[in-house]
Amino acid sequence: MRDAFSDFHPVINFVYFTAVIMSGMFFLHPVLLGISAVSAFTYSVLLNGKRTVKFNVFCLVPMLLFMAVINPAFNHQGRTILFYLKNGNPVTLESILYGAAAAVMFVTVILWFSCYNAVMTSDKFIYLFGRIIPSLSLILSMVLRFVPRYRAQIKVISNAQKCIGRDVSQGNIIKRAQNGIRILSVMTTWALENAIETADSMKSRGYGLPKRTSFSIFCFDGRDKAALAAIIALIAVLLAGSAAGLNTIRFFPSISAARISFFSIGVFCAYLILCMLPVFINIAENIKWKYIKSRS
Amino acid sequence: MEIYKIKELSFSYPQKDKEALANINLNVERGEFVTVCGRSGCGKTTLLRHLKTVLTPYGKRSGKIYFMGELLEKLEQRVQASQIGYVLQSPDNQIVTDKVWHELAFGLESLGMDNKTIRLRVAEMASFFGIHTWFHKNVTELSGGQKQLLNLASVMAMQPSVLILDEPTSQLDPIAAMDFIETVKKINRELGTTIIMTEHRTEEIIPVTDRLVVMEEGCITADGSPESVGKKLSKEKHPMFFVMTSPMQIYAGVQNKLPCPVSVKDGRKWLDLIAGETEVKKENSRAAYGKSSENTAIEMKDVWFKYRKDMPDVIKGLSLKAGKGQLYCIVGGNGSGKTTALSLISGICRPYRGKILIGGKNTAKMNPEELFYNNLGVLPQNPQALFVKKTVEQDLYEMLSGLKLEKQEKESRIREVVELTELNDLLAMHPYDLSGGEQQKAALAKVLLRKPRILLLDEPTKGLDGCFKEKLAELLKGLTRQGAAVIAVSHDIEFCARHADVCAMFFDGSIITENTAKEFFAGNSFYTTAANRMARHICKNAVTVEDVIELCRKSKCRSNI
Amino acid sequence: MPEKQMPVKYIDRRTILAAVIILIIIPGTILFGVFFLKDRKYYFISLLILIYTMLPFMLVFEKRKPQARELIVVAVLAAIAVAGRAAFFMLPQFKPVVAVVIIAGVCFGGEAGFLVGAVAGFVSNFFFGQGPWTPWQMFCFGIIGFLAGILYKKGILKKTRLSLCIFGGLATFFIYGGIINIGSLLMFTSQLSWKALLAYYVSGFWFDIVHAVATVVFLYAISQPMLEKLDRIKIKYGLIETEEA
Repeated sequence: MRDAFSDFHPVINFVYFTAVIMSGMFFLHPVLLGISAVSAFTYSVLLNGKRTVKFNVFCLVPMLLFMAVINPAFNHQGRTILFYLKNGNPVTLESILYGAAAAVMFVTVILWFSCYNAVMTSDKFIYLFGRIIPSLSLILSMVLRFVPRYRAQIKVISNAQKCIGRDVSQGNIIKRAQNGIRILSVMTTWALENAIETADSMKSRGYGLPKRTSFSIFCFDGRDKAALAAIIALIAVLLAGSAAGLNTIRFFPSISAARISFFSIGVFCAYLILCMLPVFINIAENIKWKYIKSRS
Repeated sequence: MEIYKIKELSFSYPQKDKEALANINLNVERGEFVTVCGRSGCGKTTLLRHLKTVLTPYGKRSGKIYFMGELLEKLEQRVQASQIGYVLQSPDNQIVTDKVWHELAFGLESLGMDNKTIRLRVAEMASFFGIHTWFHKNVTELSGGQKQLLNLASVMAMQPSVLILDEPTSQLDPIAAMDFIETVKKINRELGTTIIMTEHRTEEIIPVTDRLVVMEEGCITADGSPESVGKKLSKEKHPMFFVMTSPMQIYAGVQNKLPCPVSVKDGRKWLDLIAGETEVKKENSRAAYGKSSENTAIEMKDVWFKYRKDMPDVIKGLSLKAGKGQLYCIVGGNGSGKTTALSLISGICRPYRGKILIGGKNTAKMNPEELFYNNLGVLPQNPQALFVKKTVEQDLYEMLSGLKLEKQEKESRIREVVELTELNDLLAMHPYDLSGGEQQKAALAKVLLRKPRILLLDEPTKGLDGCFKEKLAELLKGLTRQGAAVIAVSHDIEFCARHADVCAMFFDGSIITENTAKEFFAGNSFYTTAANRMARHICKNAVTVEDVIELCRKSKCRSNI
Repeated sequence: MPEKQMPVKYIDRRTILAAVIILIIIPGTILFGVFFLKDRKYYFISLLILIYTMLPFMLVFEKRKPQARELIVVAVLAAIAVAGRAAFFMLPQFKPVVAVVIIAGVCFGGEAGFLVGAVAGFVSNFFFGQGPWTPWQMFCFGIIGFLAGILYKKGILKKTRLSLCIFGGLATFFIYGGIINIGSLLMFTSQLSWKALLAYYVSGFWFDIVHAVATVVFLYAISQPMLEKLDRIKIKYGLIETEEA
């Protein structure tokens, strides 16, 4: 399925991901953490399909358990002592819960990044920073151009070397390593020498003239404005909640969080809407399509 | 009005005594299509690079260049960047960014245009060049021809009044090259852009050009319309005549007073006048091409291959037999699997069915030592993939470093190969400082050090000028005389027709026809040499320029009688 | 000789910027973190400080409007590092990135070294996936390249194989390994304890050792030919014209 959120302007994508990743890293409050984890998981499945589910089960769950266990082994703060380790250090309920929360947070952030990688393609990133850091974003664009090219050339060189009996697949380990390094070395020369023409091509097309602009094929339209306004409003609510101390939880020495109030429920709802925004957008688009199709 | 006026331009590179350009005088009119030709190293590129200040090489210079009446070096960089478009040789090296749309906009960004203007220009260019279908792609996904078209389009987006192209098609296959040349012609015809171009592919470019400039050793030796240049060079029996088209070469070989034909179409008319009246006996008596199994150097038996299990077959039941002492050329379209066939022989790819035998032995059962020493030599399409060291000489020694040989033995072997490939003057140079043809020779020398009995070549004439092609052919013939088998995959029909012993047509994963070069091309009607296309309505068997000249002479003798 | 005077000016500007950051912004961030961020302070403070350290390099580079050939050199070297990282995908931690970055620093100076490292760290994650580790990797690679450039200029680091290998091994183990481990610890702990850090170092020890050994091996094998190549390129690009004149 094509992701509808990816079609929004890169600014929207970037602001959204900055907001959810930052808050995902920051809020350890169980409700917020839960919202973030569920949303990240839903969106990543939506984006990457079944592959993610497998990845989650086989990679992230063991990591989660490992990290939840390792924290109490080093962190002995907390009031509720459950038992003592062999070296005499106590294991506390607080530290176990903290470990679990931290582990969930870590996994959530990883999931958010997997969504980020699918949505924020390199050209969007380069567009966003093209105006602020034009030279560096041009470098990024060039590197992204060069890397696949170099990898193809490594293949070419490796084949050519194979035909004179010098490939990584030939000879003993030391010979192979030598051959691998030789291939890298040939590639380096080739890359450097051929880049001279690239520099010529840049100069020839006026690179270095003052007042360079940066072009983009992205348009900021009404839909993007609405989305941006919504995201900013939701972030504002979240920050207000944060300032009022509703979003934080204290683990040590004993667990305590702010009481649930109307306002805090409002904040949680805002956070849920923010995190689920791409999922909602996708669902809305789907319904719209079906509606249009049924009418025609 | 003149767009360029070059006055007494001389130039020499630092630390070199010889002048790269000597007293060049040249005026280029607005809207002209000028082709500069000459063998590699004659100063074409140096001359072209002088036409844009940022690309001008360092060195000692005298003389003046005017662009639209103004001294070029005084002209503002911004004006130069947009008014003088420059397309370089390699399609890959010129592309800077990773997206097609970004590359198209690159020059306009440099000029500081706003988003709206760029959007319009980019859209215009994409439509004019037919790029809109791959506008959003990554440049890595493009073919060589598309890449070069993209380079042209991104230069044209700046709306230059003059377009300079330095051997733009040398890295392209014939069909992509023709497309490219057509596009350049279209730019010249429809937009009125002045074109200044250098090119080795003279067969295609001379018929569309308005003016031909021939250079030799940094001087201009001839300048004028292709007909007049052809006439002049033929009168002087000039060695540069090999750069002309086949009809022109044939014209020069036959004494007559008719105007010089440039294209195949003109050539046919001209030939009708010279030899049309006389009936030429169709010679069909040539001995049928047969294969003897005794001298087989390499054999492929019903070979099937695909890159991955779930992908379609690339090679389908290919059988091939090349004899010792043969130059075996495989021709065919792009993507027909020619190069894959070579990599099957060299063992880079393994067939999933069928056998490949070298000297009667299955290659699958040979170890690399056995296969690549004294047996199989492979020259890759890009010779740069072989260079490791910083001088040619060290590179040659490197090739022998793994072998257990006496120092003297090594030296004598290298001396032998160096002599054969005429590398003597180049030994101290960095491999990357050599020209394309010289790199090819150096790479070939490297491969020859292993004393291969079978030599595989992938596009050996790519980017070479006519002179180097002849030298390469001579070298290869020398090897075949010593009993080596040479198998070449090539797009270069003229080269194959002139020099191959056997030609094979590759199509859809296997060889569909195979014959001696002459019979092979005589049997094709489209996929054949320019000389043959010109003369085949009179005599099918005239394949090379020499054949047609011979034909004309014979018919002349007869008509004189 | 305008090219020769310029670097001095740039260093000055960079020093001023660095001073401002060290004296005002970093303490400000720490205070802000301690008072407002509570138990997540360590991660965010450290992340912000990382970004502050990288910013001056980027801003100075942007400010001086680098020429086409400078961009090309940085881009090519970073791409080689990334392609190298991809080429050795089958050997975990055995990557040539640090080696390439050190060579870049030695050959083209601290700034170029930093940029090659940071760009390589960033772009390689376009291929391997961005994550919370991206800024840390960028910082580590970058700072190693920067140090290589500075130490070479000061004459402490030589272009010899031995000197480069020692520096490479130590830098990879202590700077890269040291910082990356702190990064992953801070990612999910609220209390900085020496014991926990030690546990991280112990668990990452073999990874860091392999990485350091890889750097040494690559530097041993490619440093000399690569330096030769880069010197040749400097002449060909006209990057050292002023010295000849």
